[in-house]
Amino acid sequence: MIWDLYLVMPLALVFIGALFLMLFSLVKQVELTNYNLVTVAFLSVSLIIELIIFQNVEHDYLFETIFAKMFIVDKLSTLFNILFLSGAILTLLINNNYFKSRDYYNGEFFALLLFSIFGMMMLAHTNELITAFISIELASITLYVLVGYNHHSPKSSEAMLKYIILGSLAGVFFILGVALVYGVVGSTYLGDIYSYLIHHQNSDISLLVVGMMFMMVTLLFKIGAAPFHSWVVDVYIGSPFPVTMFMATTLKIAIFSILLRLFLVDFAPIYPLILEIIKVVAIATLLLGSLLAIAQTQLKGMLAASSIVHVGYMLMALYAIGVGSSFAASAIIFYLISYFLSALGAFGILSFLASDEEKRHLSFDDFKGFAHERPYMAAAMTIFMLSLAGFPSTIGFLGKFYIFMSVVETGEILLAGLGILIAFISIYYYFKLIALMYFYPSPNPKKRFPFAISTLLIVGVALMIVWGGIGTGLIPFVAGADGLLTIASEALKTIGK
Amino acid sequence: MEALLSLIVILPFLSATILGLSYLVDSKKNLSNTYYATIALTTPAIVTLLSFVLVFKMSTMPHDTPLYAHLFDWVKVGQLHIEMRFMLDRLSMIMIGFITFIGTLIHIYAVEYMQSDEGFGKFFAYFNFFLGSMLLLVVASNPIIMFIGWELVGLASYLLIGFYHKVSSNITAANKAFIVNRVGDFGFIVALGVLFIALEGQGFSFEAIEQGIGGLSHSTLSFVGALLFVGAMGKSAQIPLYVWLPDAMAGPTPVSALIHAATMVTAGVYMVARFGFLYNEIPHIGEFIAYIGAFSALIAALMASFERDIKKILAYSTMSQLGYMFIAVGLGAYGAGIFHLFTHAFFKALLFMGAGAVIIALHHEQDIFKMGNLRKVLPQTFIAMLIATLAITSIPPFAGFFSKEAIINHAFLSGHYTLWIIAMTTAFLTAYYMFRLIFVVFFAHSTKTYPHLIPLGKMIIYPLIVLAIGSATVGFLGIEHGFAHFVALPDRATPAPTHLLEYGLMGLNILVALGGIALAYRLFGTNPEPPKANIPIKALFIHKFYVDALYNRLFVDTLRSLSIFFDRVVDGAVIDGILGLLTGGYKDLGAKLASFQNGTVKTYATYVILSVSLMSLALIYLLEAQ
Repeated sequence: MIWDLYLVMPLALVFIGALFLMLFSLVKQVELTNYNLVTVAFLSVSLIIELIIFQNVEHDYLFETIFAKMFIVDKLSTLFNILFLSGAILTLLINNNYFKSRDYYNGEFFALLLFSIFGMMMLAHTNELITAFISIELASITLYVLVGYNHHSPKSSEAMLKYIILGSLAGVFFILGVALVYGVVGSTYLGDIYSYLIHHQNSDISLLVVGMMFMMVTLLFKIGAAPFHSWVVDVYIGSPFPVTMFMATTLKIAIFSILLRLFLVDFAPIYPLILEIIKVVAIATLLLGSLLAIAQTQLKGMLAASSIVHVGYMLMALYAIGVGSSFAASAIIFYLISYFLSALGAFGILSFLASDEEKRHLSFDDFKGFAHERPYMAAAMTIFMLSLAGFPSTIGFLGKFYIFMSVVETGEILLAGLGILIAFISIYYYFKLIALMYFYPSPNPKKRFPFAISTLLIVGVALMIVWGGIGTGLIPFVAGADGLLTIASEALKTIGK
Repeated sequence: MEALLSLIVILPFLSATILGLSYLVDSKKNLSNTYYATIALTTPAIVTLLSFVLVFKMSTMPHDTPLYAHLFDWVKVGQLHIEMRFMLDRLSMIMIGFITFIGTLIHIYAVEYMQSDEGFGKFFAYFNFFLGSMLLLVVASNPIIMFIGWELVGLASYLLIGFYHKVSSNITAANKAFIVNRVGDFGFIVALGVLFIALEGQGFSFEAIEQGIGGLSHSTLSFVGALLFVGAMGKSAQIPLYVWLPDAMAGPTPVSALIHAATMVTAGVYMVARFGFLYNEIPHIGEFIAYIGAFSALIAALMASFERDIKKILAYSTMSQLGYMFIAVGLGAYGAGIFHLFTHAFFKALLFMGAGAVIIALHHEQDIFKMGNLRKVLPQTFIAMLIATLAITSIPPFAGFFSKEAIINHAFLSGHYTLWIIAMTTAFLTAYYMFRLIFVVFFAHSTKTYPHLIPLGKMIIYPLIVLAIGSATVGFLGIEHGFAHFVALPDRATPAPTHLLEYGLMGLNILVALGGIALAYRLFGTNPEPPKANIPIKALFIHKFYVDALYNRLFVDTLRSLSIFFDRVVDGAVIDGILGLLTGGYKDLGAKLASFQNGTVKTYATYVILSVSLMSLALIYLLEAQ
């Protein structure tokens, strides 16, 4: 019981923090920075507890007497929680300047963000399909509100509406899928589905497959895979920077947590039946994403479209899981971390600039000569672009390398080749920015490096990307990139017991 | 003890970082030279102390129990397990002993030599960096870490050759050194790759390799041995990769003394000795090495005999002495080779520092035929240089006599008479060109005066004195093969000489050296004439056999026209053309696709429903096929 209380602490802290901020936001005299700090404090304590749990946990159910086997706690869920929490902390701190520069932020924003994280954390723990649905919706509904948070901007409201309508439409399929699964199995617990599949190998399971595919549709929609990607660019451009950043990085990781849990263990026996569909989806995502990214003129749009491409890579690895790659699941987690860092940094710089200069749309042309105006920021931006493009000596390179390796391991040379080709194309839109920054004269005079939490964290993230890319302990005694991979595979080992 | 060993390598890198950062941050030049000099001198001094402590503690231990210091695992992927681990055995003990000692002296010397230079801090950052890299090279316990040290000293050498970067010819010289060394390094790394694959993951530290090579085929070992030597050729300036060394004299003189005479260039010899167990399996490759060394020694001596630049004479003599060392290690006399490496470090560093003192005193004049009579104005320098010259021409009891004699006698006793004759000829030429330098610089034109002489400070003179004492005495360590026994390398045995033969050979060596001195005195004792290209053979020597021109024609020009071809035709027309077509098409496609993103929710919802329908159809098909 005490152990359970201990395990539930991080979740509870985030939830209590959300409620607290809700009440706290009624007090009007509080400065925005203080809300931010309170939120970060709750998240940090939660993060620390998760880090301790990660060392000690093996395989537990939260309050088994009350919730039965609804919530699972293992290394995988803890690892994902660590990622959500650090993602949220970084998002909040990096955007500190941005919050202050806009008048529409208030305490409720932070409460909503915490609710969303609470949903994601629940999703990582979930061991039951209805709970999974509720968690996804909890994370999404709060995000719907956050997307439309800039009530001055019609674009923001429009993005919110689009997201609500399409999101609900896609959400329907999940609950339909759950109904079908329940119809066959008679239970919505993940373990029960697995044992049903093991014990009924000769009976007709078509209905179960259909249910699984419908659930897949929703998950594909949420991560923005083709052909459900149409909303991504519009919504990302429409929402405020912190929210875009949060969606692109943290939400994506959350959905992958349930994807991995479902398809590594519970649906593993019937997963091969829809593999062909996943393969087509992966290829389509890669192609359509990169085509869209090329056509963008705004940087935010380019990052949005390119996030579709990155999903494509991870879907390649998801496909490889079905074909039997031993390595693909850890590759996905590693890729998530690498993408998370790189995208966080890139969006961070955009939001920092947007907080600085009110009127900028931040199109590619705005970055002409940026390196001469702000050399350090430009250097950090270059690192993020290199990492996103998968340039060696950055963590992004290793992420892509592991993904391609896992695909090659399954013998799908052509698919890996396509991935490499798409990576090649992505150089165009990432390096375009680098070229613009460095090869044009700057219209403005050189500015000093602004020392603030935001900028220092951006530089820190850039350093982490380089450090993560140089392989093993160039800094002695500190685990390098392979250490991350070990952690990922360790986490994966604890599921499916 | 382990901690001390690690500190020896870490400290120089640390202080190099501090110096480098200070220099970078201090863009307004507020920091004084004293600040830089204090940091730059403290480190080598401490390191020298540490290495002496280690040497004294370790030399009482049996030679087959080296000291290991494990820092961390660097790479651990599959069979590739590379530790950052240092090893201190007898060989590396000798190396760190003299590297740190001579390195410290040259650091002191450099403080005064470089005092008026703008890049004072930068110079010492590089210098300390070099020291750390060199120590990393010699204490590495596996070839990969050794290779890292090997590359880092190459980098330091590159940076320091091009230190006076405002003159473009210095940059060319630095590039030349770097590129020629790349050729050698390529051989080295290929050899390591082949060796690693052949060993099939039995570990890749030196001791593991020693145990593992027994199972390898003779041809594999020969291949590896030959390629390793290609690496040594580059670093130690042997034929055909020696062309960079004379040009490397463009760097400041302390650099030439430390890097291009005493330490870095001997890395090749050290590497061959380190792999002595491997070369003992393949004596024919060893013989090849010995012949390359012998010819390098001879050719370099010939070129030195016709050179006018004081530093280049010394550069050629370095190459020549390195040739001797390769004769020794090639024939399996690793102890003798390392001994010559050891004594050579003393007297060659001294020669360079003496030359540097002369150059400084004469306002950066390097042509020996514009000097003369310096004996009277620079007496201390003269005496120091004379001692070093006596050492290099192997006049007893100076250091070079013992070490060189050991090599020449080994060639004779092991029955390689051709090598012996070449070595003797070179010894004659060495005496000739070295005393030519002494006579021309210090004796000739006995009435010449120097009104604008720059006085030399203590920090230049004292290191000269210390090294002069060293050059005069360290040879005694080699009496009765004491040095060779101490380093305990796997020497190949030779028949023991009779006493008569031994004394005979010794006498011959001394006679040959005296003959060279006499000839030099006859030609240059009083009224020296600069060499003139009046007959073809002399022209050939003066123009260094036209090797530079040949290499330029063969490699540089060919490569350049090839790259111009690739740039203009292959890349410009063919590849860019195809890519232009492709990317143009892809961009158009992207623009068309973006137009489907029309922003209406209705359309997007339709996409979703259509896609789900399509997927369902596909699923029906897939389930049917089941």
